[in-house]
Amino acid sequence: MDIVILLVVLVGSLGLSVIFGRYLARMIVYEKRPLEKTLGKIENGFYKIIGVDKYEQMTWKQYFLAIVVTNVIAAGFLMAVLLYQNSLPLSPRPGLSLDLAFNTAASFVTNTNLQHYAGEQQLSIFSQMVGLIFMMFVAPASGIAAAFAFIRGFIRKEFGLGNFYVDFTRIIITLLLPISFFSALLLLFLGVPQTLDSTITIGTLQGGSQTIPIGPVAALESIKELGSNGGGFFYANSSHPFENPTGISNVFECILMLVIPLSFPIAYGHLLGKGRGISILAAMLIGFGVMLALGLSEQSGPTGLETRFGSFGSTLFMESSVATNTGAANAALTGMSPNAVIGFFLGMFVQAIPGADGTGMMMMIIFVVLTLFLVGLMVGKTPEFMSMKINPRDVKLAAFVFLIHPALILIPSVMAYTTENAQSVLGEHTTPATFTQVLYEYSSASANNGSDYLGTSANTPFWNWSTAWIMLLGRYAPIGLMLAVAGSFTLRDRKEVVEPIKTSGFLFVGVLSVMVFILTALTFFPFLAMGPFSI
Amino acid sequence: MRTIKSKVFSPAIRIIVLMIITTGVAYPLLVTAVGQTVLPSQSNGSQVILNGKVVGSELISQNYNSTKFFHSRNSTDSGSGVDPDITPANALSQIPGISNSTGIPANALRTLVELDIERNKETNALVFAPDYVRVLNINVELVNQYPEVYTQEITPKGGN
Repeated sequence: MDIVILLVVLVGSLGLSVIFGRYLARMIVYEKRPLEKTLGKIENGFYKIIGVDKYEQMTWKQYFLAIVVTNVIAAGFLMAVLLYQNSLPLSPRPGLSLDLAFNTAASFVTNTNLQHYAGEQQLSIFSQMVGLIFMMFVAPASGIAAAFAFIRGFIRKEFGLGNFYVDFTRIIITLLLPISFFSALLLLFLGVPQTLDSTITIGTLQGGSQTIPIGPVAALESIKELGSNGGGFFYANSSHPFENPTGISNVFECILMLVIPLSFPIAYGHLLGKGRGISILAAMLIGFGVMLALGLSEQSGPTGLETRFGSFGSTLFMESSVATNTGAANAALTGMSPNAVIGFFLGMFVQAIPGADGTGMMMMIIFVVLTLFLVGLMVGKTPEFMSMKINPRDVKLAAFVFLIHPALILIPSVMAYTTENAQSVLGEHTTPATFTQVLYEYSSASANNGSDYLGTSANTPFWNWSTAWIMLLGRYAPIGLMLAVAGSFTLRDRKEVVEPIKTSGFLFVGVLSVMVFILTALTFFPFLAMGPFSI
Repeated sequence: MRTIKSKVFSPAIRIIVLMIITTGVAYPLLVTAVGQTVLPSQSNGSQVILNGKVVGSELISQNYNSTKFFHSRNSTDSGSGVDPDITPANALSQIPGISNSTGIPANALRTLVELDIERNKETNALVFAPDYVRVLNINVELVNQYPEVYTQEITPKGGN
């Protein structure tokens, strides 16, 4: 039975990835899509209102600036909604404190969805809907757009990185919105509620009364999973029966989380060589397989788990969620086995197995560049990628992208202890279990994952401000550096010669997977040893 | 400065306003309209009706203090705190107690549990979930089949 669930999730998400991968490839190179005429008309309407020329190309700096400015405006809007939700319609609640509003806005705009609040208690329906659902489209669309620009950098000389506003519009209107709409209807059918009321008060069987929080959950749930967002309508996230009512909804949500991240290597294969795409897909699946194997090697629960999912359904969902940096949870982290948690750390450290929508693919290409450089050193060949020389600047930028992550995790973890802020939340006595929770908090923030142990207990100024800045740096610094890499590749000459080190095939997949593992293990092993390995 | 303003800020603000309307307002309202029209039961929280009265949501656990009912998990034992289900083992272990307080034969209770497990299996297309018992459904079924046993329990308290 478990094997059937696993097969349906894998075959379902891979099968859909083949379809959507082809579609993404068409979007990246502006090829004709199904319904092109209709879609084109709608998009042109948007461009007219926005005031952009769809043929105008951006440099990497302009593209990055457009992402940042658009995201800042969106985050400003969300923050204002959260601060002043008391004077906005649809079951108003008291406005959030400044630090919590900043944390939440940063969290949702960076595609993290770390939650230091309890949605059903602290947010109005207006905030959940106009604030969060809106941002759940903006954040993944920005990441996918960045990946489009990044991939265009490799296609051919001066192909151009594209126009952010055009990509952003097309991604939301012709990819995220239609899939979310149909997925929301399917979730509704399976039992996820959808209403503008914030609570229902009903009698119980024994004649008492029960007040149950409710809301536009289905509309949020679908884009939450599809967009690697992960922020729950309810504090209990996807373990809440209104977010994830049955075993079927659980499987469907797993597929939704995996489909876009897995579509990217397929799109890449269409554009840059089938073998290369399949090899990257294989490397991603190997990493994901290791996470799953770790999780399934040990029984989780039953405390902290939902009866309708059991150990297998919980582990599969949680590993899929953390692997795609969605960060949704259908079980309490404290209910998961130590091995499963080690799997979560692996996913958050690598960020590319398969990683979040768009950014996971970009990160994997950074690993490819680093691998080519290291292997080139070993065999004494000048590293090349897509028939272009990899120069020292590319390697430096790629190394920066890799090194930002441990810096953003380890420095604030140490600060949380030296300033006693870790102790004030987790107790004076530091154990491997409490250290794990601190390490997890910043790993999740930096990886833009969003799952966490601390939850509302971290709703203090220190934790709100520190994780907010880590999320912002963890999002925009790597995207900026990766776009810089693409910006220089797009100007570079291609030599029509055989690659000195082939970037496809079994050997390359093996070398790439081992490299990713070694780089990650060398960087993080000591901290894992102090935390999850010692539990 | 002027070029930056017109080239970056103006399209950025416009695209955000457009997306607030499209994704933050139109999309959830459209899903609500379709849901409330086509799937009103699910849209409003899968409310369970017994003798014309709402007695809970099928998806949300409730507290039972009577020994005549099957009991849910303690709220902090699950991930959600409102887990509507219990394992078959848990349900079976409650049967002797319920049989004692109600006089309903243990065999009949066991059959009810097994039927509920089968129904939940069908909900999950046989393979997509482990076996479980949905507590509210089975308690409602008890009241339906043995109304005389439960007259005390289902009378509203507090004179209402």
